[in-house]
Amino acid sequence: MTVTYVLMQNLRRNPLRSGLTCLAFALPMAVFVAALSFVVALREMAEANERQLRLAVHHKTSIINLLPAGMRRRIEALDPQRSRLTAVCGMRWFGGRVPGTPNTLTSLAADADTFPAVYAEVGLTPAEVEAWQRDRRAAVAGRGPAEQHGWQVGGRAVLESTVPPYLSLEFTIVRILDDPQRANVFYFRRDYMDEALREAGWDADAVNIFWVKCVSAEALRSLQRDIDALFADTPDQTKSEDENAFIANFTQAAGDIPGLMKAMALVVVFIIALVAGNTMMMSFRERTGELAVFKAIGFQSWRVFAIVLGESMLLALVGSLLGIVPAAAVLALAPARGLNMGPINALEVSPAAVAGSLAIALAVGAAAGLWPAIRGLRLRTVDALRTPG
Amino acid sequence: MGLPLTYHWRNLFVRRSTTLLTVLVVAAVTAVLAWLLSFAAALRTSLAVASDARKIIVLKRGATAESNSAIRAEDMNLLTQVEGLETDPQTGRALISPEMIVQVQLPRLADGGRTAANVAVRGVTEIAFAVHRNVRLEGRCFAPGGREVIVGRTAARQFAGLQVGDTVNLGFGQDRGYVVVGTFSADGGPMESEIWGYLPSLMNAYNRTLYSSASLRVAPGADPRSVIARIEGPAVQLNASTEADYWREQAMLIRVYLAVAGVLVGLMAVAAVLSIANTMYASVAGRTREIAMLRTIGFGPGRILAGFVLEAAMLALTGGLLGCAACAAWLELAGNTKDMFGATTFTSMAFEIVLNPRTAAEALACVVLVGAAGALLPARRAARLPAIAGLREA
Repeated sequence: MTVTYVLMQNLRRNPLRSGLTCLAFALPMAVFVAALSFVVALREMAEANERQLRLAVHHKTSIINLLPAGMRRRIEALDPQRSRLTAVCGMRWFGGRVPGTPNTLTSLAADADTFPAVYAEVGLTPAEVEAWQRDRRAAVAGRGPAEQHGWQVGGRAVLESTVPPYLSLEFTIVRILDDPQRANVFYFRRDYMDEALREAGWDADAVNIFWVKCVSAEALRSLQRDIDALFADTPDQTKSEDENAFIANFTQAAGDIPGLMKAMALVVVFIIALVAGNTMMMSFRERTGELAVFKAIGFQSWRVFAIVLGESMLLALVGSLLGIVPAAAVLALAPARGLNMGPINALEVSPAAVAGSLAIALAVGAAAGLWPAIRGLRLRTVDALRTPG
Repeated sequence: MGLPLTYHWRNLFVRRSTTLLTVLVVAAVTAVLAWLLSFAAALRTSLAVASDARKIIVLKRGATAESNSAIRAEDMNLLTQVEGLETDPQTGRALISPEMIVQVQLPRLADGGRTAANVAVRGVTEIAFAVHRNVRLEGRCFAPGGREVIVGRTAARQFAGLQVGDTVNLGFGQDRGYVVVGTFSADGGPMESEIWGYLPSLMNAYNRTLYSSASLRVAPGADPRSVIARIEGPAVQLNASTEADYWREQAMLIRVYLAVAGVLVGLMAVAAVLSIANTMYASVAGRTREIAMLRTIGFGPGRILAGFVLEAAMLALTGGLLGCAACAAWLELAGNTKDMFGATTFTSMAFEIVLNPRTAAEALACVVLVGAAGALLPARRAARLPAIAGLREA
């Protein structure tokens, strides 16, 4: 009689309880794997942003206050040798939406010359860069709106702006981005937007933000100080932040979904630990006599320990798989970017999150079985045989 | 006669550790549920306040919110000719409030200023207080000539540097400090998240020549729908909506957020049902003889069933009370204000989340249902136990 055999028999003894425990494990684990995926995705995004060494420079009062596009020359003049910065790209908010739809895309008009360098990780191929430089109407779109509206590379797209003077512009798509972090973006050339703004009698040559691509983390910190100092005594005082600090302002404002996910994950671990602990406690109490018999017929103490602990971990494993697999499948088949709501777009199940969820589930199973298992280990055979049950 | 309550209450203490673990599961689920319900209630209250049926918000065609709308002075003149507006009894002028919405980035108090929020700044004139009837000054109003602002109650609590006497930098240029001279309330509506200042002064500070929007009041006898139709018609060609519709649309993102959180809590609640079922099955199995005894001395199956359901409901209620207490403590310790973007603006709406007795009662009612649902099948098993065979069992 092996430990494994006893394990399987025990689980089958009270199939109702095993089933209920597995299900009670599965549902919170489904929540957990989604929450953890989200946290992992955000961490990966933050690390990727950090590697990009981009500094965001915007007006001190508010991101909606426009800065003169000419400030770019003054920022570049801080480092004529290009020992600290690689390139500076000004961006202006367009706030475009596909006519007749309610969702505003993260659509920005970017300096045509420096965009490919500052957003190098977007990975435009030389041919795509060439198309971007050649065609004033060139645009790079995230795959969210591209899938939704059937945009093709080389094809047309029309967006209407939700900010004054409510321009309606036609673009040529040169690239559709696969990156889930950029699922909802739409970048196009600022000279094209300025041309339309001038035609409408509006101020052109202004941006909401300058992205400064730096060569190192130290260079980023020193430029952050120098740029803010440079404009401190001008009407256009600036606030410079690294990309993650800049993004945090928005993720917080969208309801702090990362915080919500972390809190949910904690509650879930708490719940499954209690559920598993409860089941193991009940099983142990009912089977104290039986474990004593095992000991009496010569099972070593460690085997009794392994039987109790193994049962707990097996329940946790089966339960968590029941939760993780369907949740991962649902998220893979129906990606969250379909919801089109800010940071949720980044939610994709990652192998790291699945492995992490399984590890947590097993750890919880082990912790829940530990106390009954220790009691099994210490069980005094004679006493236990005497008590009925 | 049913079984006495004390019988069930004491039974819960027989399997102390099992009961405790189950109570804690229920408490954890209730705590999250109570927080979610409180948030939803805060949103509902805030939006219910902002639903003055006689108030209409006018935007430029194509704009999605006040903050990205631009209205010319000529358009403002056209509005005065729209029929059906309420007039000021003293001056005889139509109650139309021209307004400009900009924003200022201010640190959040909740995280010690680690992140900043975009707070709406509304430029208004005296007439605004006649149009927005629920806005009430607490203290002094800004003086038209000076660099002064007043701040909404919620904004003062959620964002740094908005206490009376503080200076906020607004607009472009060098000397641009505005002193906070008073606060105002708006019955808990979204305007409490804003900063208000004198319109000409703010337009000057932000180098603007265009207004953002206009708010106007419909005369008591007139139909708001026909006023909206006139504004959207060929003579004026602007976009108009009632205040209720406007804010309902702005809160869309927040409602999606609540729905996502709701699904997650729902899944956890099912886990709690299963956990209670597990506990009650074990309880029934361990009390076979006892139940058989009760049957023999005359308690019918219906009463046994009701008794077990009641027992689980008591267990759930205990967990629920514990969870509500945990939620209230969390709100007290971690701060109870939260702010979120409107759907199409980049300005924040702040909420104060309070666990009021009504919300707590709702959460407890849900939890008692969860307890009863979990107990139903185990209780049925108990009620169907054959009395004589049960007595014989060891």
